[in-house]
Amino acid sequence: MNALFVLAVILFILMILVGGKKGARSFIAIFLNFSVLFLTILFMLDPQVNPIILTLVACAVISCINLFYVNEVNIKTKTALAATVISTSILLLFIFVIVKNAMIHGFGREEIEEVPLYTLYIGVDFVKVATSVIIMSTIGAIIDIAISITSPMREIYTHHPTISRKDLFASGMSIGRDILGTSTNTLFFAFFGGYLTLLIWFKELSYSLGEIVNSKIFSAEMITILCAGIGVTLVIPITSWITAFYLVRNREKKEDLKT
Amino acid sequence: MNGLKHIWKKVSLKQYILYTSLLLCFTASIIFVNHNYSFYDHPIAEVIETNIVDQTEKNDIYNNQDYLFTQHIIATLKNGEDKGQLIHLKNQYSSSGAYDQAYKVGNKLFVSINTDTQEHTYLTGTIDDVKRDMYVVFTAWVFIFILLIVGKKQGFTSIITLVINAVLLSYALDIYLHTSNISLLLICSISAILFTVISLLFVNGFNEKTYAAIVATLLGTFLSLLITYFVMVITSENGLRYEGMPFLTEHPQMLFLAGILVGSLGAVMDVAITMSSSIFSLYEKNPAISIKALKESGLAIGRDIMGTMTNILFFVYISGSIPMLLLYFKNNSPLGPTLSFHLSIEMARALAGGIGIVLTIPLGLYAAIYFINKKRARL
Repeated sequence: MNALFVLAVILFILMILVGGKKGARSFIAIFLNFSVLFLTILFMLDPQVNPIILTLVACAVISCINLFYVNEVNIKTKTALAATVISTSILLLFIFVIVKNAMIHGFGREEIEEVPLYTLYIGVDFVKVATSVIIMSTIGAIIDIAISITSPMREIYTHHPTISRKDLFASGMSIGRDILGTSTNTLFFAFFGGYLTLLIWFKELSYSLGEIVNSKIFSAEMITILCAGIGVTLVIPITSWITAFYLVRNREKKEDLKT
Repeated sequence: MNGLKHIWKKVSLKQYILYTSLLLCFTASIIFVNHNYSFYDHPIAEVIETNIVDQTEKNDIYNNQDYLFTQHIIATLKNGEDKGQLIHLKNQYSSSGAYDQAYKVGNKLFVSINTDTQEHTYLTGTIDDVKRDMYVVFTAWVFIFILLIVGKKQGFTSIITLVINAVLLSYALDIYLHTSNISLLLICSISAILFTVISLLFVNGFNEKTYAAIVATLLGTFLSLLITYFVMVITSENGLRYEGMPFLTEHPQMLFLAGILVGSLGAVMDVAITMSSSIFSLYEKNPAISIKALKESGLAIGRDIMGTMTNILFFVYISGSIPMLLLYFKNNSPLGPTLSFHLSIEMARALAGGIGIVLTIPLGLYAAIYFINKKRARL
């Protein structure tokens, strides 16, 4: 039997046991996400398609799956979607500039040794692909933060319907601050777990500090981790602002209708 | 009133000192990485002029179209015996840039100087790599500033926790490499316990909430590791393509399990602390709340977070394989084998992490209830 299949079955059973119907939906969402990711890769094969725009579309679709399918369509998930799309757009710009200047796109010398038979001139813009990779690895965490902020903000608004936009924004920021530490921790450990082999490999070959920091692979992974951290932090003010703006504007609209 | 004013003054002075010293550190480190040439033994050259001397179109048997350029570069050496001299370099790059890049004026490059250049008035050489340290440092500073501006005190604690964890991990790997007879899994297990205790205590302080989260995290991670190991044994590791792991040296199974342990730890901690703090806050709001009500609300919270938490791991693990998959597909590799070769390990990691996350929901719930019951018995 295939080990991956057995692991997937165990995860599915556990999700249903703990989460019931919602658990089943979460499990299906994971496979929908995987399909979107896979489709994105297939589209990237076409040199005519801009990988960055493709990534933006993919991120929006992935956010829709995780927000609207797992949860439901309501004001919380709608504002979370807006926040995710805006944050990823800003991040894409920042990451693109960093990737282009630091030249961390493509493969490192150490990686290329493993694929000697292949032609490397495949016509796909690797600077843009590298930018997409960083965003894609962070999108899960960005969605998580966005929904974790909009949900309680909506609760606060229901309990204090007269709250001002500024106060609502401040409460969103304070919710965000509370989850910031654990979210960055989640990302960092996930990346470290993936880079464990690389770290051991660098240490075994006893590279000097200068060689490690300047090598394409290590600097690419460091910059990925840092950009992921920047991403999950930036989502906090953006989500708080959008949610506060949206909720208060809705209230003002209603008040206008009454008068 | 006076006392209050005094405290305010003190706090703002402290903050003032903090911000000034941060700004000083920032400026000093940026200046340093832009002028640290003498710290490198490898010759470094700064590009001052570039010319494209040749351009060809490249088509291969799989209909991939690309353009190749040859660049003539003049650069000044920044360190070593020939400091200040000009060096002529050649660079070939493609418009896709899978393993090459165009250089611009101002780029700093590591070069090797040719020794047999007596007939020229200038030096010639080859480009070895790009100097990237300033970009890593710059991004790190952007990260620190954004975390401090948005997160304030909590941002500061998370930076400290991250640094401590990174140093600990590096130290643990050193121990592993220098003592050949200790297994990596054992070292990572001990580090995992330390990571958990340090991270959770730092963020949440010494209280029952934290203890419940620590217990749940450790049980959840090790239980998911055990399940993964069990699955590996009963399926005799069928479908796990360790050779697809990059930079593999030896003991792939061990590295795979250690990767699962470290990789899922953060997500499991996140779930554990979310569960225990929400259950404790329900209890604090209403100390008479029944265990049944706590269980119900706890499970509802768990249901909300398990999907998004598992997704975080999926995206982190699988996205990294995108460039390699593109390269293989563009070279007409068959779909199925390529996917299983490059993704099987990453998928297994994500699934194992997901198992840990879901298991931690009931574990966190019962750990919190256990500590609440103990607290009630004391009252």
